[in-house]
Amino acid sequence: MQTLLDIKNLNVDFRTPLGRVHALRDINLKITKGKIVGIVGESGSGKSTIIWAITQLLAKNGIIESGTAEFENVDLLQADETTMMSIRGEKISMVFQDPMTSQSPVHTYEQQMNDIMYRKSNLSAGEKKQKAIDMMARVGIPDPESRIKQYPHQFSGGMRQRAGIAMSMLMEPSLLIADEPTTALDVTMEAQIIHLIRKLQKETETTIVVVSHNLGLIAELCDEVIIMYAGEILEAGNVEDIYYNSGHPYTKALLECDPAREIENTRKLPVIPGDIPDLHIKPKGCVFASRCNFSVEHCHSKKPTNQRVSSNTHMAKCHLLDPVFSQSTAQLKPRVQQVPQVTGQRFINKNEKHFLEVSNINVQFPLMGKVKATFKRVSNRFVDAVVDASLTIERGETLGLVGESGSGKTTLGRAILGLVDTKSGSAKFEGVNLCTLQQRDFKPLRREMAMMFQDPVGSLSPRQTVKSLLIEPFKIHNIDKNLEEEAKRLCDTVRLPENFLSRYPHELSGGQARRVGVARALALNPKLIIADEPTAGLDVSVQGEILNLMNELQDEHGIAYLIISHNLPVVRHISDKLAIMYLGRLVEIGNSTDIFNNPAHPYTEALVNGIPQPDPRKRRKLLSIEGEIPSLTNRPTGCEFHNRCKYAQPKCKVDIPKVKFLPGGRQVLCHFPLNV
Amino acid sequence: MSEIPFKARLIRLGSRTKKPDRTGVPFEKLILFSRNPMGVFGLILVLIVVISAVFAPIFATHNPFALDIANRLAEPSFDHFFGTDQLGRDTYTRVLYGGRVALQVAAIGVSVSLVIGLTLGMIAGYGPPWLDNILLLVFDAVRSFPTIVLALAAVALLGPSLSLVMTIVIITSIPGYARLARTSTLSLKNTEFILAGQSLGASMKRILLIHIMPNVIGPLLILAAMDVPVVVTIEAGLSFLGLGVQPPTASWGTILNEGYLIIRTTPWIVIAGGIPLILTTLGFTFLGESLRDVFDPRLRKGN
Amino acid sequence: MWSYLSKRILLSVMIVFLAILALFITLHSIPGDPVSIALGPRATPEIQAEYAARMHLDKPLYHQFAIFIGNVARGDLGKDLFSNRSVLLILSEQLPFTIILAITAIGWSALIGIPLGCLSAVKPNSIVDRITGILSVGTIAIPSFLVSIWAILIFSVGLKWLPVIGAGEPGDIGDQIYHLILPAFAVGLGWVGYLARMVRASMLEVMSENYIRSAHAFGLKRRTIIFRYALKVAILPTITLIGVGFGALLSGTVFAEIIFSRPGIGKIIYNMVLARNFPVIQGAVLITIGMYVVVTLISDLLVSLLDPRVRDTL
Repeated sequence: MQTLLDIKNLNVDFRTPLGRVHALRDINLKITKGKIVGIVGESGSGKSTIIWAITQLLAKNGIIESGTAEFENVDLLQADETTMMSIRGEKISMVFQDPMTSQSPVHTYEQQMNDIMYRKSNLSAGEKKQKAIDMMARVGIPDPESRIKQYPHQFSGGMRQRAGIAMSMLMEPSLLIADEPTTALDVTMEAQIIHLIRKLQKETETTIVVVSHNLGLIAELCDEVIIMYAGEILEAGNVEDIYYNSGHPYTKALLECDPAREIENTRKLPVIPGDIPDLHIKPKGCVFASRCNFSVEHCHSKKPTNQRVSSNTHMAKCHLLDPVFSQSTAQLKPRVQQVPQVTGQRFINKNEKHFLEVSNINVQFPLMGKVKATFKRVSNRFVDAVVDASLTIERGETLGLVGESGSGKTTLGRAILGLVDTKSGSAKFEGVNLCTLQQRDFKPLRREMAMMFQDPVGSLSPRQTVKSLLIEPFKIHNIDKNLEEEAKRLCDTVRLPENFLSRYPHELSGGQARRVGVARALALNPKLIIADEPTAGLDVSVQGEILNLMNELQDEHGIAYLIISHNLPVVRHISDKLAIMYLGRLVEIGNSTDIFNNPAHPYTEALVNGIPQPDPRKRRKLLSIEGEIPSLTNRPTGCEFHNRCKYAQPKCKVDIPKVKFLPGGRQVLCHFPLNV
Repeated sequence: MSEIPFKARLIRLGSRTKKPDRTGVPFEKLILFSRNPMGVFGLILVLIVVISAVFAPIFATHNPFALDIANRLAEPSFDHFFGTDQLGRDTYTRVLYGGRVALQVAAIGVSVSLVIGLTLGMIAGYGPPWLDNILLLVFDAVRSFPTIVLALAAVALLGPSLSLVMTIVIITSIPGYARLARTSTLSLKNTEFILAGQSLGASMKRILLIHIMPNVIGPLLILAAMDVPVVVTIEAGLSFLGLGVQPPTASWGTILNEGYLIIRTTPWIVIAGGIPLILTTLGFTFLGESLRDVFDPRLRKGN
Repeated sequence: MWSYLSKRILLSVMIVFLAILALFITLHSIPGDPVSIALGPRATPEIQAEYAARMHLDKPLYHQFAIFIGNVARGDLGKDLFSNRSVLLILSEQLPFTIILAITAIGWSALIGIPLGCLSAVKPNSIVDRITGILSVGTIAIPSFLVSIWAILIFSVGLKWLPVIGAGEPGDIGDQIYHLILPAFAVGLGWVGYLARMVRASMLEVMSENYIRSAHAFGLKRRTIIFRYALKVAILPTITLIGVGFGALLSGTVFAEIIFSRPGIGKIIYNMVLARNFPVIQGAVLITIGMYVVVTLISDLLVSLLDPRVRDTL
């Protein structure tokens, strides 16, 4: 078992206007040849910094204070630029997070791959081209001979990532580093890429390092795992040890927080309270001590050393594992936050008329103007974003609207609030049809409905203070109240300190901005809040905070929520009902626990099975779904899912299915629903 | 269709921010500005020009219209700092008064174009696409047309005058402001905070005035600072060609014209007429550049 | 590619058409007798009569416009009021001088400005960058006609190195170049700074993009990265801006022609304005519009050649 990369005592600082940030401290790790190693960390952990440091591609304000990184008899941190250039792309190669921006937009793939192969002077141009074509075929890009002449913007997202992997494997590197390779992709595409990486690794025996915050991804792919937190390595071991027998309190807590780990629905999500420490100051004791439930006096003052957990390959940096202490780790129960496990639904009055009743909403967007369309002889210049969508929400209920990109979920949310015009259909709010209302009549209703937006800072007007943002709803609706008090009250409701009232949006962190968004939505005591991707961009250990807050407010005020998200594992825990969308249609609606355990629509099944489980014993052997989401301008015939459906039959290609009502309040849009 | 956004940027909830805890240091921008030597230099130049123009009667040594034929084409001396022109008028005084003309054109020209341009730009950005397309076509056409040709044609039809120059200056400046206002409005139109305002029920007027305009006007003010040199140059150029300010009024352009005709024998008039022009253009340009750096470093990227 | 080209040409023709329409409407909107407006107060009764007949002023407006367009298309831009020569002929004699001056000015300023901008971007905050920065702002700020005047002062009157008047002996290339130096310098100076800054800003923005980082990570040579990947993208907005800024360049050219007494469109317009020779002025305005349209067409085509994303949008 050879060591391919040996990093010792790596310390990296960043120069900022406010002083030095100690981003990496005393990093020691070994990458074994032929293995897939995962580096797990949340934001600020420094996991990406390690990669940039060893390839000497740190940002200009980054300084490598000390350390060695031995790779094939070269110290990567000391090597000169010529040596590094020969190593990069050839011996060490990378796959990047965002395929949209990581590939040159003005060169064809053929040109880019040719450039990468410039070192292979012994190959002719034709041979290089053939090599490129072969690689494209290997990563699963159909028709590679012609597609290689295309530009990145002509590829879809998943295809671009495959092409990115092809480019990185071209020179047959010994070490491949994948930086958040699936973060920017849909769930179904994620599964395919995971499958592809595993396949390639088996064929080429390349050593792979995967950097990610996604515990499920790591569990699916990796043989060995390294856990990082705030610039230090807290634990390292093989994947089974980490997931089943973790030693460090942080690891345990992190695993607890992953919503995909919970089988039963919990309304309250676990959270690690607090925040990472300020890295301008080197922490004296254990870096996790301030947030650790089991910390003792010793933890804050003295730095922990690497302790053996279960074997010599499984180490963690924690005082509590030190034999000097009498407590043993087996007794440490991971109590992340004292929250009662609340399962199942709450009492929702089903006898009332539906609170929000959406019927057959259709939303269209024009692709081009009328003039251009006649010019180009295009018969249908519209794209259907939402087709025949119908759903209901009861008072005080939470509905999770789930879908991947292009599903139309955000559009539907905006259509209900009247922010987007509907072509047909109705959305009845307490009996009043919102779609046919004039702007004037809509205005008073806006007090009853509010929206929380996806981009926490972008949804706040940059030149208004928090206070003026919070009181704006009152001003718009001319409500006569003591605005000062209202602003303070709202701050308290979302647990935001009052001195934040004078701040501007750019002075807030993402989480604080989100709270302001919640507060503003709550200002007029609405009965319905539509939340667009409330957990987007949040670390796993803290996404529960905002959701728990929303839950508490629901218990106090009886607010109904429509939560729009692509993150099924999180949403299903806090929703009473789920609605799944695909290509603008609602393909399944029903109780969230039932849907999750017993999906009726093949797409739902694929989504549920597509989530990488943070459990190495639950690795999927087969792909749950192939292919890509079709473009909205090129819809498949019949049932629009038929070309990706495992259970498709001839009828599915021809007939558009009608809604079937199943027992238990379930609705499915399928000719042959499952499990019924 | 867009892929999942924001998954890539992991942000943290919690009380501590990664960014410094700025509660808004007052005069922060002023301090930043003062550290920029170019900007300070520009500000000094601008002040010199403006003060000398506004207080021209105080700084002047002679009457700008006073003829002194016997003393014409005199060399620079203690009596006449820049010498005299071919009619014996004191060049230095005329230069000072010429500053008044320049500043007048600048002040009126820039402010009128800014207001009109801002309005048109916001309408183009926020209104229906067909209106946007038409306005855009008009803006581009006017902006790209050589000003001088337009001016010459206009003068041919209507005769030379200062107000004609002013009108031309305004017409050719509007597209610059309009384009900038339009771009800003367009980019703001689709941001979530505008959507948020709409979801709260705000009227279009409110959105435009309270949400969009304050965010749009900043770059326009900086453009105004950079536009002053352009405006002043146009006035000077047209007056130089005899198409603008008419004698005996002094304008830097007319001074240059007179000086150019006798350049072989009396070089100092041309120098005297040119110096204030350069001081003005350099001053405002440096000032505008450093304002831009201070207020919005992103704007450094160009248009 | 060809469909893009044909669409673009069609668009240009439409713009020219609209411009001529605008001109026509303007002429006919000014209160007064259209004949004397079009020809000015100096026209003799014979010329006026001939014009009225040629333009069929008795016919309805749209018919007149059709005739107008037809004339323009055929190249008949009317006749000079005094010499009775064809306007088109007069202008076509002057046009080459203007074009030569404009191209020379753009040429030398691009040759110096673009590399300077590139160098500044590659080594930001170095001595080169700072000096270039100040020089750029300086040269942009100084009005080009002032540069012309002072250049004459220094190089012609003071040092007596270069000539002031005219374009040189026809047929003598050397002499013509000799006469071209000062005007081209004056017109192009402002553009050096303008281009340098544009290229610098554009390059800096591109160099911070993710795909440049990827290129580094793939171990590509620095030269490859700068020229093939960064500059290729960074130059695009610069090309567009050359097209847009051409109008300003023409302004500078006109001033230079007047100050240096060079033949050219600018000089002709100026003389004609003083003489109130309207047909020539109108023809010159039309030619200017034509030049602008051609230049923007060329720059757009160049951009589409280099940037594949543009081709898919039209």
